Amino acid sequence: MEKKPKSMREKLPGSLLACLKEQGLLAGKEEILYQTAVDMNTAGEYADGYILVAGERLIVAQLPPDKGRVHILKGYGDLAPAEGTDWVFRAFAVSALEGIWVEDCVGCSLLVARLEGEEIPLAALSNFRKRSVFDFARAVEGYARDGEYKPQREELEDYCPRCGRMYPNPNYKVCPHCVNRKSIFLRTLRYFKPYWRSVLIMFLCILATSALNMVWPYLNGTVLYDRVLAKDEGFLEGLGIPGGDFALALLLVVLTMFLTKLVLLLAQILQSVCASRTVINVVRDMKRDIFKMMAKLSISFYRSRQTGTLMTRVMSDADRVTGFYVDNAPYILVHGLTILFTVAVMWSLNWQMTILTLLLLPLLVVVSIFLQPRVWVMFGKRHRAERSLNNCVSDNLTGARVVKAFGQEKREIGRFSGYSERLKRSEVTISYWQNYFQLFYGGAQELAATAVWALGTVLILRRNESMDLGVLITFAGYVGQLQGPMRFLAQISHRIADSMNSAQRMFEIMDAAPEVQEAEQPKTLSQVRGEVVLEHVTFGYEVNRMVLKNVNMRIPAGNTIGIVGRSGAGKSTLVNLISRMYDPQEGKILLDGVDVKELSFKELRGNVALVSQDTYIFSGTVAENIAYSNTDASYWDIVEAAKQAGAHEFIMNLKDGYDTRIGASGHGLSGGEKQRISIARAILANPRILILDEATASVDTETERLIQCSLNHLTKGRTTISIAHRLSTLRDADYLFVIDNGEIAEEGVHQELENKKGIYYKLLELQTKALAMRGVE
Amino acid sequence: MARGMRRPEGAGEEFDLAQMDREMEEMLRTRYLTKENASFQRTGGGFLSLTVDGESYPRISVARMFPFREKERYLSIRTVNERSKEIGIVNDMADFDEETRKMLREQLNLRYFTPIITKVVSIRDEFGYSYWDVVTDHGACRFTVRMGGNSVIHLSDTRILVMDIDENRFEIPNLEKLTSAERKKLDLFI
Repeated sequence: MEKKPKSMREKLPGSLLACLKEQGLLAGKEEILYQTAVDMNTAGEYADGYILVAGERLIVAQLPPDKGRVHILKGYGDLAPAEGTDWVFRAFAVSALEGIWVEDCVGCSLLVARLEGEEIPLAALSNFRKRSVFDFARAVEGYARDGEYKPQREELEDYCPRCGRMYPNPNYKVCPHCVNRKSIFLRTLRYFKPYWRSVLIMFLCILATSALNMVWPYLNGTVLYDRVLAKDEGFLEGLGIPGGDFALALLLVVLTMFLTKLVLLLAQILQSVCASRTVINVVRDMKRDIFKMMAKLSISFYRSRQTGTLMTRVMSDADRVTGFYVDNAPYILVHGLTILFTVAVMWSLNWQMTILTLLLLPLLVVVSIFLQPRVWVMFGKRHRAERSLNNCVSDNLTGARVVKAFGQEKREIGRFSGYSERLKRSEVTISYWQNYFQLFYGGAQELAATAVWALGTVLILRRNESMDLGVLITFAGYVGQLQGPMRFLAQISHRIADSMNSAQRMFEIMDAAPEVQEAEQPKTLSQVRGEVVLEHVTFGYEVNRMVLKNVNMRIPAGNTIGIVGRSGAGKSTLVNLISRMYDPQEGKILLDGVDVKELSFKELRGNVALVSQDTYIFSGTVAENIAYSNTDASYWDIVEAAKQAGAHEFIMNLKDGYDTRIGASGHGLSGGEKQRISIARAILANPRILILDEATASVDTETERLIQCSLNHLTKGRTTISIAHRLSTLRDADYLFVIDNGEIAEEGVHQELENKKGIYYKLLELQTKALAMRGVE
Repeated sequence: MARGMRRPEGAGEEFDLAQMDREMEEMLRTRYLTKENASFQRTGGGFLSLTVDGESYPRISVARMFPFREKERYLSIRTVNERSKEIGIVNDMADFDEETRKMLREQLNLRYFTPIITKVVSIRDEFGYSYWDVVTDHGACRFTVRMGGNSVIHLSDTRILVMDIDENRFEIPNLEKLTSAERKKLDLFI
């Protein structure tokens, strides 16, 4: 008996404990063995409550629904305990409890108990509570059945230590609120490190460009007009040109202007070459890392997400992140400096006009900040419209046969037009807003420029000391130059946010911890014999739905065993556990007496080969596909394996024999042909343990016989686990297990099971009689 | 687990092909439940039991065939166990008396528990998740929605279904009934 935790009472609200005592349901020192919080009542309303086991009582305590209380679900801060004075109790004797479990509804879950033969709903709960209530139910059920106290599983620490919010995904302990944006920024920056030379050149080019841009208005304004054209003798002296030779001065100035433009152009070209080189490399590195990580992740990761969208999103995320660093990040500094310098130069030229120019600036910034989010949302809308359109196209391409067979081309065209229309509308809205923006900025700029010209002209006419025509032209040039950087800075915050979001998504995948972890110091098996033992294995894909329940199995080395059962009984799940696609929630699986969790993936999966019901063919040649598990295989090995799998004949009927290229997912091959290739693949892998999961489901009877024959050779000396619907496939099995509802319902040799007249007998009779009726056998 | 404690149905029975065929036929047939042939009763615990054509079922569940379109019609009355089977179909709840309608509604309300969002207080978007603070017909609610997935489903142009990270459901039956400020908060999803 394990020690009871002391904190059960502390976890319950004080008012509840007080009421319990008052009603005589809880003695002063009585232990509370189990407890869990629920958040709905069985009438389908949010109402706080607790279910607890104290002494010999199962108590359901619930408050009446309180619409004034904010109902908090996962992702928000700590939950305040539910306090109240009007607790309503229902108490049951634990001895009357025959079962307690969580049932799924559509939008919530239900805790149900069977008490003396009657099923009673104890409470409802939002799915947020499902996990903890499920753990509670399991523990209580064990306690009621065995009378022995075992503590319920501790709730996961799901809160961010810094802000107290719950993690949206407890397996990946990152609080979206507190995530360190700086660290993401720096982490992304690390990808640029190997290409620092290119980045440096790029940066220098950008600096040079903006510096020269700064000089330009001065050259074509002040120098050209006020010095050369206004025939400023002092200017010539400064250059060391003989007095009066303004033609030479003009030539020099024009030459300088030309060179400036030339250098500008070269710098820009160099910059874009460096930029594209960096981008390509960095994006490649990021994608490679993402792919590497995805390969390491467990199957459950793929189960919980849509692989296709995940992939495309991640791929475009890498582009977006890098794009920001190259197209935007350097310019933050450059534009910031440009604005500072420009304003300084303008100020030195004429401070009144500078103030006039900057007058409109705050307005521009405010309007940008106000309007930008809208534009952002519109981009999102366009993205979604694009996605729907793409989905529609891919639906039609993959389902072309169905569309044609039902003559629905017209409707599909209509559907496509609908999505196109939506995309068009969103594009139009975007360009409308962009133009609106343009108009606004342009207008403001023109206004500022006009005001500058007007004031400048007035100043010149008044023969103001500080104002010449050249200065005015220079000034106007600077005013124009200010607009670009301003607009850039107005938009930058959103670009940063967007890129950081992409980066975050990328790192989410890179940081995700595989659920199935490889042992750090794996044990090695010197010689694998192939004995497989399952001890009390319990497993479910979802919290409250166990696919396998307390399964015990012993498969001696070298034996062939068959697993029989209805579809959905848990057969495939069982073999997935053996090769550690998932880990069982309870119990363990031993290979030659060693827990599979202690073996390295290489050792385990090198010794277990799976031929599954869904075959997968990679794009490549037939030979490459067969040799997938063993790239060193010789041509003879490949042919031998194909022969054993009954694939040789059809392969030789292909035009290019073993060198025939087969497209992704085996385009052009029939289901049976694909299956035979995957059998050949397993044969070539030469494993100690061979798992055949409906391996012959989609081949015809004749081919099945052929494969069966070759499998008989193949299974010699190997441990073979064979799952089959057609019982005839299993006639040579040494031992059979019948799985029903996730449990082993029957086991034994063929004859025993037939005599038992149970499920196996029923399936057998059904198949032979059905075949007999059709006159097949 | 509790439900594993029951013996699987059919185990140990004598095999009878004819019986099996009859069962199959039954599965293919549609049985309509009407007030003439069926009677629903509340069980002591709060579930529903059903007697139809002399057969009795100690506990049944009620499922909508078209949950988003038909709330009180096309109901499938089913047995409750791991291999839930249809007992019969209620074409229209209106065919039954008030008491039965009330009982069926109770079951449906629980099974299809979906608070209706009446007011959007705020939606914050942070690194892949959005945090919703709303008022529903069941009171104020705060929940978290994963971004970028299929968490917000458009049932029609104006009707949306929101699923939080635990797959709790919330519904906005008519976007046009929200204020424009609220719709703007939802802009990211519409």
